Parts: sequence; structure tokens; C-alpha cells
Amino acid sequence: MTTDEGINYDRSYLDKEFPIGTFEISREMILEFSQASGEVNPIYVDEGLAAESEYGDIIAPPTFCNLFVNGGEKPDIKLEFGDIGFFAGQAIESLAPIRPGDTVEVTSRLKEVYAKTGRSGKMVFAVWETRFDNQDGETVALVDESYVRRNSRRAGS
Amino acid sequence: MFIDLHTHSVSSDDSRATVEQYVKWVGVLRRKGYRMDGFVLTEHRKFDFDKDYSALAAQNDVLVLKGSELDTNCGHFLVYGVTEALASRIDFGNVQMDAAELVQIAEECGAIAVPAHPGRFGIGFCEYVGEVEGFDGVQVVERLNGSNRPGEQERADALIDQRGYLGTGGSDAHVVSAIGSCMTQFDGGVRGEADLVELLRAGAFRAVRLEEAAEA
Repeated sequence: MTTDEGINYDRSYLDKEFPIGTFEISREMILEFSQASGEVNPIYVDEGLAAESEYGDIIAPPTFCNLFVNGGEKPDIKLEFGDIGFFAGQAIESLAPIRPGDTVEVTSRLKEVYAKTGRSGKMVFAVWETRFDNQDGETVALVDESYVRRNSRRAGS
Repeated sequence: MFIDLHTHSVSSDDSRATVEQYVKWVGVLRRKGYRMDGFVLTEHRKFDFDKDYSALAAQNDVLVLKGSELDTNCGHFLVYGVTEALASRIDFGNVQMDAAELVQIAEECGAIAVPAHPGRFGIGFCEYVGEVEGFDGVQVVERLNGSNRPGEQERADALIDQRGYLGTGGSDAHVVSAIGSCMTQFDGGVRGEADLVELLRAGAFRAVRLEEAAEA
């Protein structure tokens, strides 16, 4: 029941998919990312123990997706609201393991634009969903990123 | 009965708590010696008609009801007793909906609209009542809100005491461990949303903090 009524932006971007790229996932990429980000779970960092796990090998941690999400430039949707904007959070949904040797195709789409009100007044959120599909066509992860725009000064203040 | 009338699950855009986690936390509070019978999911700007928590509720002996928190031109309003008829008359996503009209439509549809966190700076009912007409139908206001910042509770108390409103309590939980911090104690039994609306209209309740729900 969210609505974007009354919000001025280029609606032609809604649900339109933008390719970010196709990426080969190597064992080294997973290990280096996991070690650099402080992961301690053996399924991400210990090939020996991971081999004995239900996955049979190391897998990528959910935040691994950020390697590709953050590199993608988002189109300008020409949102006409507010004079400041900032990143408002991210949610990663892991649907299946990303494994060494996988090839993932990454695409992004504008999922929704909506308004809400808070202590700082009206805010408009743009939510981008980035989808990761593997070589079998299976969607392995969804990453939602929210960007907010608001006025730096509340009306009347 | 002790019920938290204001909670948000992952269905709201700003919460990461699942309903299952909330239910488990109610169990934690009970083991700590607090009385808590259930909670109402008041998701932001929506009502989840398609979600059914009855099995989860029965399995854990926790009442799980559904409502909504709507943005209006006069702050946020909690709506209890949402029906298809009500939803057909209101655009839940319209953050500038007419609050007085919402109160009226809720009344006509067997629901009740309650100003949320009235003392909140910027979007509390305090900012608008007296300035805007059409709120004669408002009799119940959220008195205790677990997410209040310094000064906001005092503003809410002053408003309610001055105008003689009845006051509810809710945690406004967006994270699991916040649930139950403020609740509403009902004199009668609540089995569903219809009972809840009836008791709210009858005034048979009071706002309480978690500490007041400690079992003797």
C-alpha cells in the first residue's frame, strides 16, 4: 500500500533493470573478502572445516555482495524533493550460497519510491533492489538499498 | 490483559524484527516475571491483510493482532480494527492524509484512530490540536510511547491531562528487545481486533510501563 503519488521523479525508471555486470567468483575473492571483513565462521574462511560442512566448501558471506553493489552507478531518477540526500540503509537477503567458481549476473532496478514523515519532517525514500543470479539462473541474493532525500530545514523552523 | 499496542515488524520499512522474534521475546519477559499477553503490529502506512499469525499465536499462547500506523497532516495515527471497508476509503500511503477525516472514517467503519506519540517534536498531535479543527471525535491518545525522547513524554502527559483524553501505552518497538516496554492494561478480555476497539471505545484500560506488569 505504499504510494508515490505527489512525488516528482522520472517514473520510467521504476522496475526497469540496469545491468551492473557479470562476475566470476573465485576462491581467492571469497577468502580475501571474508578475512578482510573479520569473518570467523569457518564456512567463509576455513577451507578444511568448510569441506566438512553442509556446503562442502567455503561460501561467500552475505556482505560479499557489496563488492558488486557498491561499484554500480545508480541512474539519476530526477527526484524533485529536498536539498540533502543520504544513504538510509541496506538489507541483504541470501537465498542460496554463492560458491567459488560461480558466475553471477548482477542487475539493479528501482523498486519503489515513497514518502514518510518523521521528527525531521517529510522524507522521500528511493529503494533500489540489486539481484544476483548464478550460472544456473537461480537468484542467490537480493540487496535492497534505501536512499533518502529531505529538506535540511523543516518548514516553519 | 497486558497488550503492547504499538509495534513494528520487518513489514515496516524501518524495522528488522520478525513477528516470530517478538513472540519469543514475550516468552523471555514472562520468564523474567512480567505479565504480557500480546501485542498489536502497527506497520507503517500499510495493513497486512495477507498475513496470518494465528498459528504462531496459538502455539505460543501470545495474542498477535494487526493494526496500522498512518502518517497524516497532523502527525501519526494508530488505527485499530482495520477492515477492507476502511482500506477502500483511505490511501494508506498518503503521508498528507486529512487526520480529522481519518478519525471520522475509522469511526464509521468500526475502527478507531488514536494519535501516536502525541508529544513527539515535529509530528506529534501536540503540534496540531487546538490549531486544527475536527478532532472532537478523538477521545483516546497514546500516552506512553517507548520511543519517546527527552521532553516528549512530558508534552504527551500535559496534553492528555489538560484535555481529558484516555491514554494507551505501546513500546513503538522496531527492535526485538524493545517490545513490552510500554503496554496497555485492559480490564476485559481481548480476543481479536473487534474486542480491542470495543474496549478502547469503552475506556476500560490504562497505560502501563513494563515494571507495572511485574507478577506479584
